[in-house]
Amino acid sequence: MSTSKRSNRFLGWTLALVATVAAALVVSSVSVAEETKAPAGKIVCDGSTTVGPIAKAFADYFMKQTGVNVTVGESGSGNGAKSLINGTCDIGNMSRFMKETEFKAAVEKGVMPVATVIAMDGVCLIVHPSNPIKALTTDQVKGIYTGKIKKWSEIGGPDADIVIISRDTNSGTYETFAEKVLKEEKIASGVEYVTSNGAIRARVQNTPAAVGYVGLAFTTDGVKALEINGVMPTKRTIATGKYPVARPLFMFTNGYPKLGSPLHEFVTLYLTKKGQDIIDSVGFVPVTNYE
Amino acid sequence: MHLRTRKIIDRSATGIGILAIVVMTAALVVLLAPIFANGTGAFVFRGTAEFRKYQSDRFDRGDREVLTTEKETLRQVRQPVYDLLHKFEHQLKNDDDLDARFGAEFPKLKREVYRLIGPPPGEALSRLERDEYGATRWDRALVQADSIVHVQEDRGLDSHGFSLKVEGPRAARYKGTSLEPMFGYVEMHLAELLRPQWTFYPQFLIDNPQDANFFGGIGPAVLGTIYLTLGAILFAVPMGVITAIYLVEYAGQGRFISLLRTCISTLAGVPSIVFGLFGLAFFINTIHVSPSKSVLAGSLTLGLLILPTIIRASEEALRAVPLAYKEAALSLGAGQWRTILTVILPAALPGILTGIIISMGRAAGETAPIIFTAAVSVGLGVKPWEVFTSPTQALSWNIYNVSTEHEAVDQIRHVQYGMVLTLVVLVLALNLTAVLLRARITRRLSG
Amino acid sequence: MTAFGQTSGKISIRRQGGSLVLGQRADRLRHAVALLGRLILLAIASSSALAVLFIFYFIIRDAIPFFHDNGLREFFTSTHWYPSNAAAPEFGALAIFYGTGMVTVGAIVVAVPLGVAAAVCLSDVLPFSVRQWVKPTVEILAAIPSVVYGFFALVVFAPLLQDKGGQALSVATWLLFGPLAALAILVVADVSCGRLRERFRNPARAAVMILLTLAALAGLWKLSAALAAIHISSGTNALNASIILGVMALPTIVSVSEDALTAAGRELREGSYALGATRAETILSVIIPAASSGIMAAVILGIMRAIGETMVVLMASGNAAQIPQPWYNFLSPVRTMTATIVSDMGEADQTTGSSRYHVLFAMALCLLVVSFLANLASEWVVRRTVAKISAVRGTGGGDAASRPQGFMRRVWSWIGG
Repeated sequence: MSTSKRSNRFLGWTLALVATVAAALVVSSVSVAEETKAPAGKIVCDGSTTVGPIAKAFADYFMKQTGVNVTVGESGSGNGAKSLINGTCDIGNMSRFMKETEFKAAVEKGVMPVATVIAMDGVCLIVHPSNPIKALTTDQVKGIYTGKIKKWSEIGGPDADIVIISRDTNSGTYETFAEKVLKEEKIASGVEYVTSNGAIRARVQNTPAAVGYVGLAFTTDGVKALEINGVMPTKRTIATGKYPVARPLFMFTNGYPKLGSPLHEFVTLYLTKKGQDIIDSVGFVPVTNYE
Repeated sequence: MHLRTRKIIDRSATGIGILAIVVMTAALVVLLAPIFANGTGAFVFRGTAEFRKYQSDRFDRGDREVLTTEKETLRQVRQPVYDLLHKFEHQLKNDDDLDARFGAEFPKLKREVYRLIGPPPGEALSRLERDEYGATRWDRALVQADSIVHVQEDRGLDSHGFSLKVEGPRAARYKGTSLEPMFGYVEMHLAELLRPQWTFYPQFLIDNPQDANFFGGIGPAVLGTIYLTLGAILFAVPMGVITAIYLVEYAGQGRFISLLRTCISTLAGVPSIVFGLFGLAFFINTIHVSPSKSVLAGSLTLGLLILPTIIRASEEALRAVPLAYKEAALSLGAGQWRTILTVILPAALPGILTGIIISMGRAAGETAPIIFTAAVSVGLGVKPWEVFTSPTQALSWNIYNVSTEHEAVDQIRHVQYGMVLTLVVLVLALNLTAVLLRARITRRLSG
Repeated sequence: MTAFGQTSGKISIRRQGGSLVLGQRADRLRHAVALLGRLILLAIASSSALAVLFIFYFIIRDAIPFFHDNGLREFFTSTHWYPSNAAAPEFGALAIFYGTGMVTVGAIVVAVPLGVAAAVCLSDVLPFSVRQWVKPTVEILAAIPSVVYGFFALVVFAPLLQDKGGQALSVATWLLFGPLAALAILVVADVSCGRLRERFRNPARAAVMILLTLAALAGLWKLSAALAAIHISSGTNALNASIILGVMALPTIVSVSEDALTAAGRELREGSYALGATRAETILSVIIPAASSGIMAAVILGIMRAIGETMVVLMASGNAAQIPQPWYNFLSPVRTMTATIVSDMGEADQTTGSSRYHVLFAMALCLLVVSFLANLASEWVVRRTVAKISAVRGTGGGDAASRPQGFMRRVWSWIGG
């Protein structure tokens, strides 16, 4: 008798728990949902973590303007390409161009990838403001990062060992740097690895003998950007391709989106003044310029 | 050995043991203290007038009349700052000498000031919300104000040939210009410029994040975590309990059964990232449970991950049911099925529930399995009918994303801590429930 | 109970009637239904086995192309990890294996002494009332999600290591080795002077102790000064990952070891005490040897937990695919297999299966194989424990016989970690 009563009480407990959770779920989904009245559709983006900040800021702006739900996944360029080819996303964000093999696979599956260059990403060398060095060549930078140049005095700077700081090798920034500067040579073993642009800037701010590389947006606040091959990294030099360590960022769609559709509007957001403001303020360089 | 030494060694051994326990407890405290201390800062903090303005503009919260009067007061207090900035900007344009000195620095300074007290109406620096409002939190405002009022100054070269940098007041640098009074004004009237008030912001849990988590809350992530956890349970519990019943009630000691057991313990030992790869390869790319990443695919992957835990917990609970119950039921003539359903399962239910609740905690916290199967960094809250098709945010993934990939990790620490606290409280609450449940079982078995 | 009585009563009547009145057909039907039900149960139960097979199948399927194209040699022997190089990619994963091994060893060094000491304390020292408060601590440590540990490592612990790392290390040295040195001095002094005549014993011991204390102080001082001078350039490094992983592995090690220690039984303890041994001597020379294979299983499970962990190492280890210089330098960033898989998978060309993609499956396969072997090893060790304990006990009473089985099941439940 008492046993069954007790287990009943447990059952009651469980039911109460489930009911509470369910109620909470309904309440929260309703309250989250109420804010955006009847979304008019859905856009799924997936891909590069480098393009992520732009896509996220676009999505945020776009959702507010149109009520279309935009989801942005950041699982890497390769995953972006794959998702587009498999039809599991509308936009594949990529920090590199699609490979030939990926293109072929896409066409075989009846997907026609169309690339849109939405912005440029520049990688800038930074040093401590107290370092008198103002300019380097790509060969010198390569020499530093491969361990051939060990002291600032070897390249006309102060008498101190160079503290070399790099992004972790997972990052898109590292890949651009490795491709454009190191020319795929081996990075020195004494290099410090840091996990974000902000962290590199912080390290360089506090270390007079340090050198690091960051995206253009992180060249302010207590660090000094260097000229590379005589070109100062600015929006203009990066957009026009004069600055040597830069790469385009892409959004890939399946075919060109239907004109006037939300997808079209989203992919062409970078052409508008607002879109460029957004790109600019998340630290990238708009490709079109109205100035 | 000396008896006294033996005694001392004995005491020290006890001491080492107790020390180990103290270290372990200390580790827990050190881990949780900053999370609780900073995490509550996402819910209770000193919100500035900018915070209230944002809440009113975006979420239509707060008393309009009060806000209008506040706006007017603020306008009066802030106007001198804007005036000084405009005046100086105007001078820069007309004075080449001044432009050479401050032309490069001034736009940055202006931006910093706008980030502190917000831009004057109609003059936002960009369309991003982070540039349309000033500092919404007093702690951020203090940091921001410091970066305006102070500046790094050159003081010659040091012995290695580096120039020496010393932090000094920026006002000294602008001495004699029309901007000089602004720094003193900002420093003196900071509180009036921003009017900080203690704010309780429980809607942090349900608000959508705005402008890459600079504003708003973590609603979609909380919701996503709940969906994923419940989904995993819905999938894993029936399978796990049935498997356990089979293992306890039907299976003998054959070779097949021992193979099955080995498989289950192997499944338990598979690293979580491998589950993620498998979920991507199998659920999404092979059997296409959903057109893209989705709550469903993530739930299935997580369900597989917690399956062994549920099987084990259920098995133990079932085995703990006294044999007498079963024998009594059988001897009364109940069939095996009826015995299991009406006698054994109810008696084992609390134990099974404990296992389920602990696995829920595990599913809620796992990150690696959902990266490729369910998680996105931006997206609205998923409605219940969209779970089969829509990817979702989730607390665990967003914690990782927002604290590593975000473009301004330092500026949104409160959001990161808020997310971590929410996840920790969720998991701890689940575990507490399990502990209480188990206490009841122990009491029942012993009493 | 009344409800029960009624229903089962009905059944029994029907049953009796069935065998007497109903024909063979109905009986066969019932048998068929029962068999069917059993088969369905079996099918569901084997689905978890199926899941394991599927996991192995999918991982192996995508790992084979890598070994087919690139062979085994480079992958296991080279440290050149440049998978993204378009012209000449290199897939030497040795440094990554090394990184995994390094943080795992570090985690074990942190977790095993601490965990076993805590387990001993829980099983043999603390009174029940205190134990009830300590156990939830262990459970909470086990319950906290790994991403939370990772967040702590990245946001709180890494800056601390970077700014105050040297000082922290030197303080830790004093706290850790100070008491240990004191204990060692005591024992050494006692043993070395034990043979002397009664008259000289105490003064000699005092002299030896003073000498040793001075030496130890000097040594510790030097060590801590050397450590304090270390400047840790990056807070996300092998040390950070090891410590955090160690704390994560602690609950597994504590719980499993404690179960093993408890399972060693009262008889052994009482026998040892009866022979005049102190508690420490009992623990060190009787209980721990008796529970050694259980503790071994605990260590294996802890290792598995550390190897398979993803988020903590991704956030705390620094992700540099290099063998530190010198090889034991825990202050240098390293990279592990799990972190490599999770971070490279997204960037690799997945659609057509480049080597960069398949190499990650090769790595996942290595992980799977290691965890599978560790699993078998722990099961084997546990089985041996059970055999050993039953052998020691003989065919004891019901209580004693049920204990090892219970222990085994609890270990199994912990393998899930």
